[in-house]
Amino acid sequence: MRSRDGAQDQPMDDLDFEILDGVRALFERVDPMPAELPERVRFALAMRGLESEVARLVAEEDPRLVGARGTEQSRTVTFDSASLSIVIRIEENKNGSVRIDGWLAPPAPRDIEMQTSAETLSGSSDEQGRFAFAEVPTGTARLVVLRAAPRDQGSGGHSVVTPALVL
Amino acid sequence: MDESTSVTAPPDRADRADRAERMADLLDAAKGGSEDALGQITAELSPMLWHVARAAGLGADDAEDVVQTAWERLLAHLADIRAPQALVSWLVVTTKREAWRTRSSGRRQRPADQEWLTAIPDHAPGAEEQIVLDEQQRALWRAVGRLSAQCQELLRIIAFIPRPDYQSVSAALGMPVGSIGPTRGRCLQKVRALLADEPDGRRA
Repeated sequence: MRSRDGAQDQPMDDLDFEILDGVRALFERVDPMPAELPERVRFALAMRGLESEVARLVAEEDPRLVGARGTEQSRTVTFDSASLSIVIRIEENKNGSVRIDGWLAPPAPRDIEMQTSAETLSGSSDEQGRFAFAEVPTGTARLVVLRAAPRDQGSGGHSVVTPALVL
Repeated sequence: MDESTSVTAPPDRADRADRAERMADLLDAAKGGSEDALGQITAELSPMLWHVARAAGLGADDAEDVVQTAWERLLAHLADIRAPQALVSWLVVTTKREAWRTRSSGRRQRPADQEWLTAIPDHAPGAEEQIVLDEQQRALWRAVGRLSAQCQELLRIIAFIPRPDYQSVSAALGMPVGSIGPTRGRCLQKVRALLADEPDGRRA
């Protein structure tokens, strides 16, 4: 080992860089960033970038559902925004995907997207405000209730997005 | 000594120049509203911010929240960030500040200071121990574990900062200019001494 007495503010040498590389590799092994964190961040930023109402989570059966942490069984989640309430029930399908049944209040036909990291599923609600996505891949997703058509603007002139969910 | 002269030029300088250029392009695109560019930046720099937050002693859930908050704050300040180096230091400082706020808010009482440090039993891996380290890594782990909390935090942070960004980060960390240098030097020297004491030694 080379002596570095009194050399505390000297240039870093190869061994210093090697040590730092080693420290980095260690922490990458021992305490890695959760793999889903960048995706969670990306969703959060994308939501901010949209000119939309952001629905707020107001009730959930399972507190682990929102916030991209963990997954659980069937549950019901309620979101509120200024113009709309959205209730969704999430159930596991046999094949590992999930089924989403939802209700909008006040009820109105709207185009609805389920945006997942893999794909965006399109659907719409009926006159009673009901909508469903039979098979949604598990992972991070958010629901977007699109802007009402101009002739229906009485029932909502903005898109409404929910926070990211882990399905 | 001026910190800018105390970091030796890395051997793979060309790669790093490419990286700086690529980050500059992504930053420009993100400022122009490209969600894809912003996504690439978050993918690249989030691991660094995770380690900054965890080094500050936050639990995993708090660390995730703090990283997300730092990015949300960046979005509001994107226009002020002129260069990739400024981007890295802005993010590191913001993450540290948010981590400090979270800790001092007492929002979550958490006895988990440096909990990661106990994630690996020092000598005898327990039955539940899933992480296999080679002997050299174990020696380094033991050495890091014997450092002061300040040294542990500092080395963990700078280990994840892209080297060309050391100077702007150390200047931005709110310490007297250059003080991260001597502190870093002391911390590294201590690690070297500890490694030298290891039975099978580490090459000098």
